[in-house]
Amino acid sequence: MSGYRVHRNSQRINAQAPCQFRFDGKQLKGFAGDTLASALIANGTRLIGRSFKYGRPRGIVGHGSEEPNALIQLETGGYTVPDLKATQVELYDGLNATTTTGFPSLHFDLKGLAGTFSRFMPPGFYYKTFMGPIKAWPLYEKIIRKAAGYGRAPVDPDPEFYDHLHHHVDVLVVGGGACGLWAATLAGRAGLKTLLVDEQNEAGGWMLSDTSAQIDGKPALKWVSERLAELNSLSNVTVLTRTTAFAHHEQNLVQALELVQDHLPLAARDSHTPRERLHKIRAHHVVLASGSIERPLVYGNNDRPGVMTAAAAQTYLNRYGVAVGRKVLLMTHNDAAYDAARDLAQAGSRVTLIDTRLRGAADWRQHEAKSAGVALMLGYGIAEVHGKTSVSGARLVQLDPFTNTVRARGPRLSADSVLSSGGLTSTVHLFCHNNGRPYWNENSQSFVVPDEGRQGISCAGSITGRWELSAALAQTHAAVSAMLLGFGRSTNGECPVSDERELAPTRRLFRVPDGLPEGHGAKAFVDYQNDVAAADIHLAVRENYRSIEHVKRYTALGFGTDQGKLSNVNGFAIAAEALGKPIAEVGTTTYRPAYTPVTFGALAGSHVGDTFDPRRYTAMQSAHVKRGALFETVGQWMRPWYFPKGKETMHQAVDRECLATRNSVGVMDASTLGKIDVKGPDAREFLNRIYSNAWSKLDPGKCRYGLMLDENGMVMDDGVTACLADDHFHMTTTTGGAARVLNWLERWHQTEWPELKVRFTSTTDHWSTTAVVGPKSRAVLQKLCSDIDLSADAFKFMDWREGTVAGVPAKVFRISFSGELAYEINVDACYGHYIWEQVMQAGEEFGITPYGTETMHVLRAEKGFIIVGQDTDGSMTPIDLAMGWAVGMKKPFSFLGKRSLSRSDTVRKDRKQLVGLYTEDPKVVLAEGAQILSTSDDAPPANMQGHVTSSYHSAFLGRSIAMAVLKGGSQREGDTVYVWAHGKKYPAKVVSSVFVDQEGVRQHA
Amino acid sequence: MPNFQPYLQSPLVNFNLPAQTVPAEASQKVRANELPLMGYIVLRGELADTAVAQAITKATGLAVPTACRFSSGDAGVLIWQSPDECLLVTARNYVPALLAACTEAFAGLFAQAVDNSGGLTTVYLSGVEHVTLLRHLGVYDFESVTPGDVASTVLGKAGALVCRVDGDGVFLVIRRSFADYLWLLITKAATPYRFAVAKLPAAGKSPFLRLVDAGSPAKRPVAA
Repeated sequence: MSGYRVHRNSQRINAQAPCQFRFDGKQLKGFAGDTLASALIANGTRLIGRSFKYGRPRGIVGHGSEEPNALIQLETGGYTVPDLKATQVELYDGLNATTTTGFPSLHFDLKGLAGTFSRFMPPGFYYKTFMGPIKAWPLYEKIIRKAAGYGRAPVDPDPEFYDHLHHHVDVLVVGGGACGLWAATLAGRAGLKTLLVDEQNEAGGWMLSDTSAQIDGKPALKWVSERLAELNSLSNVTVLTRTTAFAHHEQNLVQALELVQDHLPLAARDSHTPRERLHKIRAHHVVLASGSIERPLVYGNNDRPGVMTAAAAQTYLNRYGVAVGRKVLLMTHNDAAYDAARDLAQAGSRVTLIDTRLRGAADWRQHEAKSAGVALMLGYGIAEVHGKTSVSGARLVQLDPFTNTVRARGPRLSADSVLSSGGLTSTVHLFCHNNGRPYWNENSQSFVVPDEGRQGISCAGSITGRWELSAALAQTHAAVSAMLLGFGRSTNGECPVSDERELAPTRRLFRVPDGLPEGHGAKAFVDYQNDVAAADIHLAVRENYRSIEHVKRYTALGFGTDQGKLSNVNGFAIAAEALGKPIAEVGTTTYRPAYTPVTFGALAGSHVGDTFDPRRYTAMQSAHVKRGALFETVGQWMRPWYFPKGKETMHQAVDRECLATRNSVGVMDASTLGKIDVKGPDAREFLNRIYSNAWSKLDPGKCRYGLMLDENGMVMDDGVTACLADDHFHMTTTTGGAARVLNWLERWHQTEWPELKVRFTSTTDHWSTTAVVGPKSRAVLQKLCSDIDLSADAFKFMDWREGTVAGVPAKVFRISFSGELAYEINVDACYGHYIWEQVMQAGEEFGITPYGTETMHVLRAEKGFIIVGQDTDGSMTPIDLAMGWAVGMKKPFSFLGKRSLSRSDTVRKDRKQLVGLYTEDPKVVLAEGAQILSTSDDAPPANMQGHVTSSYHSAFLGRSIAMAVLKGGSQREGDTVYVWAHGKKYPAKVVSSVFVDQEGVRQHA
Repeated sequence: MPNFQPYLQSPLVNFNLPAQTVPAEASQKVRANELPLMGYIVLRGELADTAVAQAITKATGLAVPTACRFSSGDAGVLIWQSPDECLLVTARNYVPALLAACTEAFAGLFAQAVDNSGGLTTVYLSGVEHVTLLRHLGVYDFESVTPGDVASTVLGKAGALVCRVDGDGVFLVIRRSFADYLWLLITKAATPYRFAVAKLPAAGKSPFLRLVDAGSPAKRPVAA
């Protein structure tokens, strides 16, 4: 037991609102306003987890998003969230958290044993150790995976929901500390639409921790509440707390995650409110006031539970009313940490302040500390912390005042807490996400961003390296005034004043020496989350990793959920020392989104479940559902797949649907095909250029099948186009290709042939198309339509007619994708359902059978009709498909792909060409995609001859059929080939790809 | 021939909105309902060409709108879509006459009128948070859409025209095949706002609502 509650006037917890919570099954007490971390510390809980690699005991180090150790699993079942930082989890009544590490238990960890041999686990340990045998890898992987990682991803469905919200603002202020608040105030007063986001549960930033700060002669927190009151009164200003700006993208798009309900007990959460909200903010100007984070010093055993940053201890004390220990050692190289020592001493802790500087802080600060009861030791450093699962004390060394070396041994002091302050690190992440780079500022000993910001971004406060409040506010005022000038607005308000206080120079120190060569003393951790010690960075450099990006990847420095917020700068500095280079030259690793972890739920928002992707329905949807259709997704469309009756399998249903269609009449919903109205005096010429075949002589009332090629001469789409009038055509495209084809037409028209007078209008959704297919289709239509002469002579195959079907104006196309006599009835889609039902009724006496895409595929394959994208793959020319008849090489103007058709590669005789296959065993249905071999004894590496593109059982033929692309296939009819699938070779005979009605008698009937 | 009795179904028929419709109340911060079975005609032609513009006005009685705006009158609402495209939203039973008038007025011009009445529908979205709802769904700056404006944009993953007549709400013109998806998305995003399928307001002078009252030839509109 070490941490305990104290009362502080500044505390932000509500002592009248106690909360019960569970941690690792243990019932504990905290207060509203606590974080899980502050409550755990107050309850004396120290051991929070085991480290990633060595299984070393770990405790809470920080107080916010920088926390590397305290990763917990929150709640259970569908509500569970892995790897939250206890420092960021707001306490609520009934909260249930568990540790995420420790096997078999937190207190006895097997990995901890491995840690004993940590000197045998250097960086690259896994690469170096698990080299072989290769066969053992699955086993290694299993063990390594078990040993690695933290929490567990939820497996139950998430009972909560998430959403997105877009913003367009003049000014986005990131950070609600004193500088951010002042920036928002000035922007708000200037009448600009302003949004301020802050990560914490309340605005105020460091002012919530620093009770001594004054602004404009009043306590800083009073000034903060005045600012918030003013901002809330301005209708043009919005303040969002619990909202972390985690990414900055091109053109000032900032993404921010708001934790809307995470702070509420599960039972108190409103089911109508999202758990989290992802804000997508487009700002004319962004003010980055994201502040800075205190980094620790690097010293021996600086990872023992009870070791913390000074800022964290100061925050727990002043903000949460929790003293981290009764006997505290605080090591610093700067003045600011004296405030933490002073406050802890005032609250009753026995504090020894170990200043690495021989002269210590400015006199007034030393005086303040001493008056509060702090014992000062100047010119000392901590060489090594004592204790294992909890701090018990530390061994000090006396430091050389000029070089970072040990001058003499120092005393051993007992303590229950060890704090350190290695100075501040500017939170430059967002500035750098989109190509900005920070620079090393020797004065402030940090990578900082430039005062002037960059295009569209202003930087305000300690992000620029201004550690003192007075300087930070002055810089903010100047930066925001300059921004307002850019908006043509003036600055309304005087710069807030905070006392300028005398400071002693900071000591340039990152790794506190222990008098031993690096690697020989106690492990001094740089990155807690990845178990990277100072010696590891030295080793990486010795193994010749010269770039900091490579050092990072070799050691894992800066990876993980904390993204190196505490460790990066120390790591860069230690690498610089090892490399013998200035830090500025070593530079930083790349800052990438996300600044803090973002849940997948928030990223998905409402794009989940039935709105994950649009599900497009035709007008006949309810008719299909009524008849028991199963659906498949085709280019977002929900198309009936097949219509099983009773307990029919797909195979049985498809056989029945095929036979009914071939022998009597079937009906299919063809509404999903793309339809484009093409009109203009040059429409015909345009079609000549965009299709491979000729359109000059197609008369009104006629239809023609067309192939669309890309520039390489490869088939990209196909469909039937009807001539409505001399200057007017109705084009159809594949279901999935509709949008692509319309774009394709527009692109060629707008960029290459703008002189052609033609326009394209999508009518895909306007027309409902009911395809009535089979020998009895004419008889069905005759019952519904009296104003079209349906006789074979008057209404021929590939004709279309306008008329009335079941009392509704319709365009009827006599076209066929099955090889049968067939009619496609096109009506205004609002009548689609009606027409479908009328057709069903009229066809009843013929046993009309609705069929879906699967039967459609079989019927068309029996006829050898291709499906673009299934029998073609972007490398098939019309010639490869034996469709040379659809290429008009004599057209006066060229057409797309023409030139490519005469390339040496496209005229090669041994290209893969479309063929039909009959398996030797008619019952064998080949696997689509199966490779084809020429001989039965071909062994790897096989001489692959092609592959199967379509394969079905044909009930009509009573055997299997397949389409395939085969090298030189057009010359191989009659050959026997071998189709390899699932370890077996199936002999098959190469045949024509038209299996049914080669003469076309049926479709012309 | 039997005595056929054709019926029409709107794109949102499967939600059976008429059965869900409740009176509009202030507590419903987001309300929506469909304006079913209206007429839609796509007009193509260079709007900057005076002859084309005059022909459109002659055929429809409506002024050709400027960019990102719509005009309205007895024939309905004429929405600017692009420099060579407008969408005429009209009453369904006006469509044949308007198509004929366009064909006549466009004679000799490079312009066309395409019936798209089966392909589109309109949803009225209102309530004090209706703009917030749009902000949940799309990236466009919906707060900048003022009366008379139209924004052609994307909601979720589907296109929509967002037309504002007054401060009370917006009319979303959407494609038939995406209507189901967009309706689901709207209702999902409206979860925090006491969403209701509310009775459409009295038509009054609303250029859109009047088109519903102008009647459709639906003899037997049936539910799914």
